[in-house]
Amino acid sequence: MLRALRARQTALAPLVLLLPAFTVMLFVVALPLAFSFYTSLTPYRLIRPETIEIFIGARNYVRLWDNPVFWAAFWRTILFLAIALNVELLLGLGIALLINRLTWGQRTLRTIMMFPMMFSPILVGFQFKFIFNDNIGIVNNALQALGLTDRAIPWLVDAQLAMFSIIVAEVWMSTSIFAILLLAGLLAMPRDPIEAARVDGCNSWQVFRHITLPFLMPFIFIAMTIRSLDVARAYDIVHVMTGGGPAGRTELLWTLLARVGYDNARMGEANAMAYVSTLLSIAFTVFFFRKLMAARRYMGGAE
Amino acid sequence: MNMTLKALALGVSATAMIAGSAAAEIDYGSFPDYTLRVKLIGGAQYEPLYAEIGQWEEATGATVQILSRQNHFDLDREIKQDIAAGTLNWCVGSNHTSFAPQYGNIYADLTELIDAEVLAEFVPLVLEHSTVGERLVQLPRHSDVSNLFFLQSLYEDEERAASFEDEHGYPLAPPETWDQVRDQAMFFADPPDFFGTQFVGRDEAVSGRFYEMLVAEGGELFTDDWEPAFNSEAGVRALSWFVDLYDAGAVPAGVPNYLWDDTGLGFASGSVALNLDWAGWAAFFNDPDESAAAGNIGLVRAPMGSAGIRTGWSGSHSFSITETCDNKEAAASFVTFLTDHDRQMVEARRGLLPTRTRVWETAMDEFREGGDEFMVTVFETYQASMAEDAFTPPLIPEWIEVSNVLWPQLQAAMVGDRTPQEALDAAAAEALIIMEDAGYR
Repeated sequence: MLRALRARQTALAPLVLLLPAFTVMLFVVALPLAFSFYTSLTPYRLIRPETIEIFIGARNYVRLWDNPVFWAAFWRTILFLAIALNVELLLGLGIALLINRLTWGQRTLRTIMMFPMMFSPILVGFQFKFIFNDNIGIVNNALQALGLTDRAIPWLVDAQLAMFSIIVAEVWMSTSIFAILLLAGLLAMPRDPIEAARVDGCNSWQVFRHITLPFLMPFIFIAMTIRSLDVARAYDIVHVMTGGGPAGRTELLWTLLARVGYDNARMGEANAMAYVSTLLSIAFTVFFFRKLMAARRYMGGAE
Repeated sequence: MNMTLKALALGVSATAMIAGSAAAEIDYGSFPDYTLRVKLIGGAQYEPLYAEIGQWEEATGATVQILSRQNHFDLDREIKQDIAAGTLNWCVGSNHTSFAPQYGNIYADLTELIDAEVLAEFVPLVLEHSTVGERLVQLPRHSDVSNLFFLQSLYEDEERAASFEDEHGYPLAPPETWDQVRDQAMFFADPPDFFGTQFVGRDEAVSGRFYEMLVAEGGELFTDDWEPAFNSEAGVRALSWFVDLYDAGAVPAGVPNYLWDDTGLGFASGSVALNLDWAGWAAFFNDPDESAAAGNIGLVRAPMGSAGIRTGWSGSHSFSITETCDNKEAAASFVTFLTDHDRQMVEARRGLLPTRTRVWETAMDEFREGGDEFMVTVFETYQASMAEDAFTPPLIPEWIEVSNVLWPQLQAAMVGDRTPQEALDAAAAEALIIMEDAGYR
């Protein structure tokens, strides 16, 4: 009898220990999610709180299906994510490899490298809005002074250049996240395989391609996962630099969501958009985690 | 109306007669140990007034707790969140003519809180614009309407004037119509070094600019039964004005992305000939430390459209008192103090347009005595404009939402993605859905 009671206590112990975590998850994550999902099934308007009680089923989602502005922003966000992440990866990897080779001043450079991360995205947005201003901006003035152009290039207006300018701002601010994570990977890397490869006659490219890069892949995918969640929620920089315009050319999901939810006060519709958008983040996260597992298997690590 | 506010009314009337009297001479009531919770608009143009709040605290014994101080768009979001969450536990909030109709009945009718004699000190048209559904929900702080600044030297060159007259068949003079602005802007433009004019190109800013051009062209935003009507011939003419200038390169290529700061700083850089702007920039434009155009600035009333109507999109920054306020008497005292004669003079000296009739005169007298003829001209021009030309957008809750479907289409026409007619038709279709959803049709 006593043994049975003790066995039951032992079985319950993990559940009791996990209870605080579950409680926190319930109130901090599950309930707000359930509430916002419910509001997406209502015509909820911030300035008419009573509208939260009107249930309209999937009407917001049906409207969304036929909303070309939303889908344009959706696909544009995917394109923005793909370009920004890959450019940040390439630059971050290059910076990490260069800094890793330094024997003097590495700590100072590592600190300097983190400066862009310390800026608020709003400040970065204003900074690049000024840099790319067609009339008084630094870029156009420099290009004109150097005789490379005699016209004011509309960086924040042209269909391609506007998105390019925003990507430049995003890359400037966040490349250091990749660089720091990849540098951590390089510093943790054992030297033996590299020295063995050199003894076997491998050149630098072969060492990088077959030893360094595979070792870094888990770090790359962790950085990709973190940044994909960040970039998919890009708002401040775009809001300040272009406001999603002109003519929706730089409209991303979260600038559209903010306009619908707050400016137009249609929070029910905005929450429906947010739920569909979440699918995008889940898809990217699942994709990068699968890649991460595959990379760890390749390295012989534990799954 | 209790005794304190009657005394307040008398006090304020006395202030009107004795300009320059200190706040301490007026009885703003006594609210010892009371903390008044407020949410105010922030920013360089608005902050100097808040330095005066200490005087009200000293006079009344109350303390002002500023819960929020941010730009109006962010403040608007915060207020909407407060409405949704039922947390309107503050008393005074900054407001604006264009935004006020959205907030339903959260703000009190000030005619019940502030004496009629005090309200009679304000410009009647501005009070009318502050009224939503027959309720005066805002006490106006300062107004904005735009007039046309220009670089004077451009009109003093005889050779240039002769060349213009040859080309266009009429003498070169500061423009009286928007067609003349278009002609002159194209004539003066020498991109990328110099531009004929410029305009704000995004958000409610460009919706408002289009709206006033629409009115000046004889068009209307909605029919009497609230069907969107801006995709009319007048609407196409109004939008074509922006498109023509953009296509001709007479405005900076980045204008679809410009807001007020961009146009203000652009004109101050001396690289723009004509600039429709509010008076808040006037002192800055003519300050040699800040502006390359200083000493070379002319100003005329906003030009007319083809219907013979001047553009005059106007609004006022204001203060409102929540219905849920726990001490409306203290709140009324506070907003009256912030909009009294002396406080409005603090803002008028910076070029912000007063909402009290007498402050206009006091400010102009002060500028004359100081020998600042430029600011006298500014105040005379804007006074005429506020009295004769000013009109607001429709004071309905849906204005901001309609604006949000309108401005991306205006941009689409400017950058050539759509013709003006296609762009306006698309915006009108979206606006129709908004009006139907809101129960207007």
